[in-house]
Amino acid sequence: MKPALFYLIFFGILSGLLGCKKDHVENVPPGQDWTYDPTPFEIKAPASFPILNIPVGNPTTVEGVKLGRMLYYDPVLHSDSLRACASCHSQERSFTSDPPVLPHVNLAWNTSFLWNGKVEGALEDIMLFEVKEFFKTDLEKLQNHQDYPKLFYEAFGARTITHELCAKALSQFQRTLISGKSKYDRVLEGTNWVFLTDEELNGFDIFFTEKGDCFHCHGGILFTDNSFHNNALDASPEPARSAITSNPADVGKFKSPTLRNIELTGPYMHDGRYETLEEVVDFYSEGLKTSETVDPLMKSLHLGGKHLTTQEKSDLIAFLKSLTDTAFIADTALASPFH
Amino acid sequence: MKNIYSSFLSILFAFTAILFLTTCKKESQNGFVHLHFNHAVGTEELVLNNAWYPCAAGHLFSVVRLKYYTSNFSMHRSDGTAFQVNEAHYRDAETPETESFTLKDVPNGEYTGLSFILGLDEAANVDGGLPNTTTNINMEWPLPGDQGYHYMKLEGKYDSLSTGVLRNFNLHTGATGGNQNYVEISLLFHHPMRLNGDTWNISLAMDLEEWLEHPHVYDFDAFEPTIMGNQDAQQALKENGADVFSVTSVERE
Ligand code: HEC
Ligand code: HEC
Repeated sequence: MKPALFYLIFFGILSGLLGCKKDHVENVPPGQDWTYDPTPFEIKAPASFPILNIPVGNPTTVEGVKLGRMLYYDPVLHSDSLRACASCHSQERSFTSDPPVLPHVNLAWNTSFLWNGKVEGALEDIMLFEVKEFFKTDLEKLQNHQDYPKLFYEAFGARTITHELCAKALSQFQRTLISGKSKYDRVLEGTNWVFLTDEELNGFDIFFTEKGDCFHCHGGILFTDNSFHNNALDASPEPARSAITSNPADVGKFKSPTLRNIELTGPYMHDGRYETLEEVVDFYSEGLKTSETVDPLMKSLHLGGKHLTTQEKSDLIAFLKSLTDTAFIADTALASPFH
Repeated sequence: MKNIYSSFLSILFAFTAILFLTTCKKESQNGFVHLHFNHAVGTEELVLNNAWYPCAAGHLFSVVRLKYYTSNFSMHRSDGTAFQVNEAHYRDAETPETESFTLKDVPNGEYTGLSFILGLDEAANVDGGLPNTTTNINMEWPLPGDQGYHYMKLEGKYDSLSTGVLRNFNLHTGATGGNQNYVEISLLFHHPMRLNGDTWNISLAMDLEEWLEHPHVYDFDAFEPTIMGNQDAQQALKENGADVFSVTSVERE
């Protein structure tokens, strides 16, 4: 290496280091005994779940998940200090509350977020949106907090708290909200002699064949195709996804919600128009409304619906209820850490 | 002493290996073939949503989605031998990145055509036969008693009985009731492709009209609303599928 170049790089690095140092001096709270030595956290999902892609810039750690969980349950994150994420996303209802709040279930596998898909990408992207634009998190409040500076240091080795780091911690916690222990899952695993009842099994057949044809949008092990559809709710549909894409073909298209824990997340649809699953199934059976962008997967649109019998309807609902994961809503590792 | 001797030998070996590899590289025995898939209806390039096309059964139809797998590519040489790559490739007409892929390490030689499967063969078309990605999961064919994946999802709308009343159609192909139903495609090049350590581009086109007219006039009215478990519909589509593809160009890059 030429000496001149060497000195240039040397001084570059030196001034970089000094620059950082200055930052530290401003933000160092009392207590220099903090350590940054995060422990990897293993995310445990059922084997049948899809391959999980975790962004390289945000590996899951015990410290990160712990911090994310605290932030999720702490109103300090909101600029008004009155609401936490969990105020609307409540565990006993599979991390939702009343519509239009979307539940937090297996979002680690999601790539488009919100009813109209306004945010696309990884969890880090939606979490940054939530922190910065929705909660307008006041970073100074966190920086001056008695606990958080240390927790951020332990999770990320950083002394300056940023919106990005809040989003990273929330994402790490969010990746642990995995629901895969419903009765249906236990039947799939084939252990412990758990079986579907005749009604549930018949409902399964309706769901996973063209008889009810729910699976093309709510299928797979995650019970969502992670895509957008107009499911024929209205004769004059809302702009929905077209508000984001400006594509007239996207009028009336909303994200297919997962049907895992659907028993817990009513009322249903983005506007909560249906109180019960019975009403939802009646809609798919005889309540379809034609409009230009109705999804071609709604094959019985011209007949107004699938015309299921009363027995078929209640069997379908019995199957949907086999997707309820009571272990998930009782999991203390996902509950509020402030008690 | 023995140690020194053996490490000397392994260094010598490594050297010759490197020498060998680099000389090989210079006059490469292998080339690349980029395959591009285009989608058309008759002579027109496919436009999703709101473009209306006539079909043999007399309906106007429009296409909303087109997703499918191709697999088991073979490049055929004039001497009767072939170069084969078995992996499956997914295609979504809405996602341009899925419309091309590259066959690497294709041995030099004179190639006269190619063949492949539209869909998946018996070995791949089982539950869990493809990697557990969300894309593959969304293609699952979950009918009780059947296995594997949708080979193709071609979805859209049509003017039923030409009355102006729109209905939805889903051409969903796959294996049902023990019938594999994948389509074997075999195509000849107009001129032989002389691969010589270089890169070639082959463009293929799927003409959607062909699904609906030859040898069977496929009438949506006759088969909707259930076709997945309906072997008559699957058989008609399997036979119609044999000539949906054509080679549009074979060019050296
Ligand atoms: C005031 C109630 C409320 C609070 C508080 C709240 N959310 Fe939400 N959340 C919603 C609503 C409503 C939606 C759906 C909005 C939409 O789609 O337009 C939603 C959607 C989401 C989604 C998208 C889920 C999906 O399936 O696409 C995520 C992720 C999310 N919230 C995370 C958070 C986080 C993190 C916090 C705390 C920083 C938070 N929410 C606080 C009401 C709330
Ligand atoms: C064409 C795709 C499609 C098909 C097929 C489909 N759905 Fe839906 N489903 C959706 C979409 C999109 C929504 C959200 C619509 C909204 O909120 O405006 C939805 C919403 C729901 C909801 C409410 C979810 C919630 O969290 O509020 C339930 C329950 C439901 N569907 C069940 C079913 C059942 C049962 C079937 C089969 C009879 C079915 N769906 C078929 C796309 C589909």
